[in-house]
Amino acid sequence: MSESGPEREPSGRGAEMVWSIIGTLIAGVLAWGGIGWLLDRWLGTRYLVAVGIVVGMAGAFYLIVKRYGSS
Amino acid sequence: MRLPALPLAQEREGFHAPGIEIFEWPDIVHLEVAGIDLSINRVVLQMFLIALLTWGLFFFAFRSPKLVPSGLQNVMESIVDFIRGQIVLEVIGREGLRFLPYLTTLFVFVFFGNLGGVIPPIFFPLNGRMALPAIMAICSLLLFISIGISQQGFVSYFKNALFPPGMPKAIYILLTPIELISTFVVRPVTLAIRLLANMIAGHLILSVFFVATGYMLTSMNISAVFGVGALIFSVALIAFELFVAGLQAYVFTILSAVYIAGALEPEH
Repeated sequence: MSESGPEREPSGRGAEMVWSIIGTLIAGVLAWGGIGWLLDRWLGTRYLVAVGIVVGMAGAFYLIVKRYGSS
Repeated sequence: MRLPALPLAQEREGFHAPGIEIFEWPDIVHLEVAGIDLSINRVVLQMFLIALLTWGLFFFAFRSPKLVPSGLQNVMESIVDFIRGQIVLEVIGREGLRFLPYLTTLFVFVFFGNLGGVIPPIFFPLNGRMALPAIMAICSLLLFISIGISQQGFVSYFKNALFPPGMPKAIYILLTPIELISTFVVRPVTLAIRLLANMIAGHLILSVFFVATGYMLTSMNISAVFGVGALIFSVALIAFELFVAGLQAYVFTILSAVYIAGALEPEH
């Protein structure tokens, strides 16, 4: 049956981590890409959405490394 | 005397692969209340049926539970045991047991909803329409938000969710929008889309395969030979879709459990 010793990683954790990492990456692009897009519309520029996507990616990577990097 | 045209020489209509239109059903009962379309079509009927089935199975299994289970009670108990052992205790722990009813119902309902895709004569996965996955994902979203608020307090929950602890203060400008979108938008959206996309893809593959198999078998030329191969492969595909139906129900349930677990205790 399901006897999880202290050293065994619960199977749910693996899936959680994978989905959480993918989710964070998507969220990074959406959040900062969205902010960039809004700024583009507001300022009449065209490049801020691209900057936003890159910034969001970087932020997401930072978050992922901070959260899962050491474990 | 003229010979009748041979069937082989007859012009056959070309093969038309079924497309996304196979997910659209005409209204059986047209109903509109205050501008909201409440029409009933085949999908809605199927949803009623599955809701009734889910309720009925649990009701009749546990109406007069026996200490030594048999028959239906045995089957339903093993499902509850599976969710309890593999999802609730594994992901949330003992304090998650109060969410066992929600997660079990969710699992069974999603599973039956998916199963329609391979059950004759239904052959339509309920979760291949966005409505149900979306509503269930919203249910899970509202559930974990309310758990978080009731468990940690309103301010503390949102502070923990939006400002992950252990980061330098300045970086929150960068991270808080990401966390906001990630927790409250991407989570429910991916939950719903993952289920929906799997069901749409599975239903399309099955439909294309069956239509093509029928087309090839009746083609009266060399294609009929390939038709036999396709027929065998379609049976394997049904088995695969059965597996996907179970897997996606499991994934939907376990991720809901993971989100509940995250709301129960703050990140550290």
